[in-house]
Formats: sequence, structure tokens, C-alpha cells
Amino acid sequence: MVLTGRTGLLAVLGAAVLVVAPSWWTLLAVNAVLAVLVMIDLALAGNVRRLGLHRSGDTNVRLGEKASVALIVENLGDRKLKARLRDAWPPSAGASPRAVDLTVPPGERRRVDMRLVPTRRGDRRAVTVTVRSHGPLGLAARQLSRPVPWTVRVLPAFPSRRHLPAKLARLRELTGQHAALIRGQGTEFDSLREYVDGDDVRSIDWRATARRGDVVVRTWRPERDRRIYLVLDTGRTAAGRVGDIPRLDCSMDAALLLGALASRAGDRVDLLAYDRRVRARVEGSARTEVLTAMVRAMAPLEPELIEADAAGMVSTLLSRVRQRCLVVLLTDLNATAMEEGLLPLLPQLTAKHLVMIAAVSDPRVSEMATARGDAAAVYDAAAAERARADRRRITAELRTYGVEVVDAPPDEIAPALADAYLSLKAAGRL
Amino acid sequence: MSVMAPQAPPSSGPATAGQVARRRWRRSRGIIIAVLALVVLGVVLAALRPRVRAEYLDPESPGQQGTRALAEITRQHGTPVTVVRGASAAADQMRAHPDAVLVIARSERLLPADLGTLQSLPGDRLLIAPTTDTLQALAPGVDRTGGAAGTLSPGCSLPAATYAGPVGFTGSEVYTAPAKATKCYLSDGEPNLVQLAVNGSTVTVLGSGDPLTNERLGENGNAALGMNLVGARPSAVWLLPDPPPPGGGGQKSFGDLVPFGVKLAVLQALVAVVLVALWRSRRLGPVVVEPLPVVVRSAEAVEGRARLYRARRAGDRAAQALRAGALERLTRLLGMPTSAAADPRMASEIVAAVAAHTGQDQAVIGAALYGPPPVDDAELVRLAGFLDDLERRVRTS
Repeated sequence: MVLTGRTGLLAVLGAAVLVVAPSWWTLLAVNAVLAVLVMIDLALAGNVRRLGLHRSGDTNVRLGEKASVALIVENLGDRKLKARLRDAWPPSAGASPRAVDLTVPPGERRRVDMRLVPTRRGDRRAVTVTVRSHGPLGLAARQLSRPVPWTVRVLPAFPSRRHLPAKLARLRELTGQHAALIRGQGTEFDSLREYVDGDDVRSIDWRATARRGDVVVRTWRPERDRRIYLVLDTGRTAAGRVGDIPRLDCSMDAALLLGALASRAGDRVDLLAYDRRVRARVEGSARTEVLTAMVRAMAPLEPELIEADAAGMVSTLLSRVRQRCLVVLLTDLNATAMEEGLLPLLPQLTAKHLVMIAAVSDPRVSEMATARGDAAAVYDAAAAERARADRRRITAELRTYGVEVVDAPPDEIAPALADAYLSLKAAGRL
Repeated sequence: MSVMAPQAPPSSGPATAGQVARRRWRRSRGIIIAVLALVVLGVVLAALRPRVRAEYLDPESPGQQGTRALAEITRQHGTPVTVVRGASAAADQMRAHPDAVLVIARSERLLPADLGTLQSLPGDRLLIAPTTDTLQALAPGVDRTGGAAGTLSPGCSLPAATYAGPVGFTGSEVYTAPAKATKCYLSDGEPNLVQLAVNGSTVTVLGSGDPLTNERLGENGNAALGMNLVGARPSAVWLLPDPPPPGGGGQKSFGDLVPFGVKLAVLQALVAVVLVALWRSRRLGPVVVEPLPVVVRSAEAVEGRARLYRARRAGDRAAQALRAGALERLTRLLGMPTSAAADPRMASEIVAAVAAHTGQDQAVIGAALYGPPPVDDAELVRLAGFLDDLERRVRTS
């Protein structure tokens, strides 16, 4: 039961009646009348229990875009429902309007359109629907909250997809459309064709030439059907904010661009998110669906404030993948975490696989390194130089294991990682 | 059919300082105007308030508003003036001298009980600007009708007035009186001075005390009128009541004074307050909580290290880090192997190469790149600047 402001107003008017006719009986009568009116109003209010509530609408939305979810209110009772309705969502779902007034005659249904502009990645679950049904006098109302479950998955924004056309153009230069005459380690034999001026004489197939009586060259094409394993580190180093976004989100963006590119290039792409256990895994998706699957798997990921377990990650990876593949580890080049975690285990990985480490560097450190002017700024610069030296040292150490390292600020990491992949592919090292 | 969501107002960008100021002004101007209006009202009321001083009509006060001059000249003319400060003291004096004139000034200070006492006393009375209650008790039939001002001539047969001649009345009251009463100093037909007989004694009502004050006594016939009225009998008793004690007569509590209906209304208002509280306290659905992500800046560790350096004045470590960074960049610019930067055996070679590119003295470059740590912050800042300069020169050479 809920009272309204009108009840309070009537009670105040009752005070005026008491001044005119001062008696205890008047006081009793005024409040009795008020109570009876409230009772009548409650009895005549639409039934909140006999309501059918259903939802329909979007289940996925990219971060920064707008989703709409409709709520159907069906009046199964026999009285008209005149109500105020609130569909409660978590604050980061950005739901509007906060509450709506609606009238539903018996046996009819009405639609309430909710607009969601989420402010964070992840799953947003509807909390409750609260209906406050007013009586005809507007003095009192019945109220009931009921869960009407619905989940909107907020997908990563993938801002680096604007780089995709340029990278795909580079990819096309390497693959089918332009047959490559450069023979690289790991490139595949494609076909034989007649020699034309300008072809590399080294690519002449003398045996075929002898058979045909005409000069024939071999063509090669970049390898296909290689396997790329993307590994997202969701441990504590991924929680640090670079600019205003967590490092994990930058890594996801880079992983998505690489995944999109590699799946178009005809490679198989798998994804693993790991800190001390598997947070998300995408394996064996069809090429056309791998991006969708990755985006959906990444959406609810949050960085955990725990030290990542490198040994667990390596053993999980080794147990999942038998054939040689490119392991792309998206993490941070944190000297202590690397030295204690990944470095001792790298030989196990590099023995079978090609390993690439992509790390997001913090532009704030570069900014601090160039700071000059007073003692405070120079101390800042010294600390930044020290951090950069650590990073260089760990990069050099990783390279001695034959690991490819991509270290770039957040707005360049995605294209840089794509370029690194393309050059590996061009060199036939996959 | 659908209930469409009300459109959200178009979201504008972050408000500028001007917009914020305008919004604050719009929100608070009502309050500011109300406060200003209150101040203005207070000032105006204070300015309009008639200034009645404590000494007004006091026969013992020599101040401008006192009447000591009138009392003194009356005494000099053989009429003793006794000053009393309470109704009971006046009653004692009047019973002792039944042929005296009782002068009642500042009658607004008299309580209803005092008026009863004075009513029963013998002798004549002179009422100076009396209140309505006093008029009803002591001069029945005389009523206040309004105010007047100006110098008026007697216009009546009363000897006291005719001997005095014109008198200046300021802020005086005029009266209606029964037909048999004597009316003097008419202004627009209504008298400023009324004399009538009540129960065998003569009661004179004077509209204003101003002509009797020390300040105005010398003007026109003021002094003569005063002396004639006060000294009409062998003696005079001047009653100037003390202000009644605060709360005097307030035997009733506040509760007794409030009507029963109002009390019930207050009770009902309490009921209304409870109902309104019930209305406001019920939320439309629960408060929704959600876990928020941690906010850790990635560069925090680096900034922390910088603050530690500064707190410990670790110029040596800072210089070491700066030199290592500069050496790394210089060797790369000079096309040397990257391992050279950290190798002390390559020091002389690097210094020579840098000197060749920049044209600076080898000793100075050597001191900057491999020299002793700086002794203070100022030297550290200079070192950082010099290393920057070296790098710039090598890059442009």
C-alpha cells in the first residue's frame, strides 16, 4: 500500500474543518472519513498481481551505442490499471525513462520502450519492474515489484575496426590476388605458369621447363590454415588504466583487429582469457563467426586484482594446442611479473610455437620522461627513464628467446599488432 | 499501441562557467530578492516608528521631551506638584488631597486594574493624550476620531484656554464629545481639548502632550495653557506610571490562550505530516546497486618511484637513470651496438664520438655522461638539460 500527496493534502484541509468545528468527535470523523476514502481507493485500484509482464528487444549492444528493450504490460485483471511503472536497471546500463505513467484497460496490453545507453562493457541485467497502481480517487495505490529477467550484453566498442580495410588491402597484396614470386620459408607452392619478363630467374622450374619445352616458373602463395592462439592476460596488470581505459580493453581491441584480419586471411583463430583460471575461451569457430564469438566472449571480462598464474596459462595452452601455432600473448611488460612468471616457462612454449607478446605502453610514462623544468619534473623523468629501461631490458630478454615483442601506446597497439602479424605472414614464418 | 517514452532533453555539452553562474543566479535570485525586501521593510518600519523617549512627559526630566519646566513654574506660582509613579501612590495622594488635580500622562502604561482604582478617586483630572481604554473609564462620552496639527486659537469660553491664546498642536488627537462638554482648539470642527464634568469632578482631555514639553513650552501660549490646566487647583498630582513589569498579569499559560479548535488543528496537522512522510518514504522500487570497476592508473608505480626519489633527494639514482636513458639513445643515434650503452669499456669511445658530433669538450661530455653524481637538485636539473642538449645536437648533426 502506498499513500499519495493528495491524502496528506486532505488531512491538512481536515485541520481547517477542526478550527471551524472544534471537537474531539470532529477529529475522529475527519480521520475516519479519510481512512474510509483510502480503503475505497485501495479496493478500486487495478490489481497489480494479475499483470503479465514480458520483454522483447536487443540482447547485444556495442559499447557507446543505443539499445532498446520493450516491456509489454498485459492487464489480466478485471479493473482498469492506472499506474506508474519503473523498470529498474543498474546505473551503468544508462536506462531511460526512469518511470512512465500508463493506463491499461482490462484485457489489453501496452508497450513501454526503454532506451539503454550503457556506459561500461559487460552484462547488464534488468533488476525489477515496479508497478504502482493508483485508485480512481488518487488517494492510495497498490505497489508490487517483480523481476522480469532480461540481459543486455554490452560488447567491446572495437574502435580499431577503422584500421581493418587498410590491413586487409595489405593482406590482399600478399595472398591470392597477387601471386607472390618470392619464395619464403613456409610459403606454399601454388602453381606453374609461363615465364614472363621480370620474373625472378630463381623461380624457374627446370624440370617442368624441360618437360614442356617452354620456360615455366613456379608461383608461391602465403601459407593458409595456420592457427593463431590469442591469449588475454586478465590479471592485475590488465586492470591498470592507460589514459582513461583499462589496459585489458586496449588489449581486447588489438585482439579483435588481429582476429578479424587473421580470419579473413584464412587462418584459424582461437581465444583464451586467463589469470588464475580460464575466464573465457573461443575455440574451433567457423571463420565467418569467429569475430562474433570473440566479441561475445570478451564482453563480460573484467580484470581480476590477482597475480596471473603464468605456469597455469602455459600448461593450459600446451594441453589445448597440439600443432604448431602463433601464440599472441596480450599482457604488460611488467619486469617483476615477467621475470617471476613467464620468462622461465618461455622455452616450453617457444619449443613448439611461435610466440608474440603485445603490450600496451603508457603514454603518461613517455610524457613524464620528457618533463623538465624543476627538480620534481626531473625526478619524474628519472623514474620514467628507469621504467623504460626496465621495459627495454625485458624486451631484449624476451627477444633472446625468439619472441616477437610489440610494444605500443594504446591508440597504436592494434595496428602495430596487425602489422607484426602481416610481416610474419609475408615472411612465411607462421 | 504503445506508451512512448518521454523524450530526454537534448544533451548539451559540459556547461561553461557563464552558464553555471547564470543557473546559480536563477536558482538563488528568489531568496536574494526576499532577503533584500525584508531588509528594506525593516529599515522603512524603523524609520516610520514614532520616537517616544523614556523621558516623555516626565516632570522630573530636564530633557527636551520632559516637563520639568512646566512643573517648576507651576510650583513657583504656588501650586505644589507631586510626582507619583504608580496608580496606588496616586490614589494615596488624591485621598490625602481631594482638591488636587490628577494629571495622567502616558496612560498607555496603565493596566485595567489601575484604571478601576483611578476611576473611584475624588478630585479633578487632566488626561494628556489618553488611550481609548482610559477615555472610556475616566471620560465617558469622549472618543478619539483622528489626528490634527497646527497652531490653533482657543475658540471657546474656557478661561484656561482664552487666557493662554493660540497653542501649537503637533501630532495631536481630536475628539468627539457630548454636547454639554466644553470644546476648545477646534480643528475642522473637532476639539483638541475637551472639558466636561464626570460624577461632580472636572475632567479635561488634552489631545497632545507636546505643547507641555520642555522643548515646546516657550512657543505661543503653551506655557500658559499648561499652567492654567495643571495649576487650576491648590495642588497637583502628576501621575507618570512606570511601565508594567513584563509578564505582569500573564497568569495564563500559552496553552490556555490558544483556542481548543487550533489545538485540534495542530493535532490534525501532525497526522497530515505523518501521512506525507509515509507518501515520501515509499520508493518506487528498490535502490539498484552494482559493483564498480577498480580505477588504478597504470603509471602510478612510476609516479610513486618519482616521489620516493624526490623525498629521499636521490639525485645519484635519478642521474644514473637519466644518463642510462641518454646513453641508450645516443648509441643508437651514433650507430653503435645497443650493448655499448651499458658497457663501461666503451665509455671513451662514446664520449669521443659524441664530442665529434657536437664539437663540445670531451671532458665536459665525459663528466655529464660518466661523472660523479650531482650534489644537489639544481645540479641535477642542469644535468638533465645538458643531456637533452647533447641528444639534440647529435640528432641534428
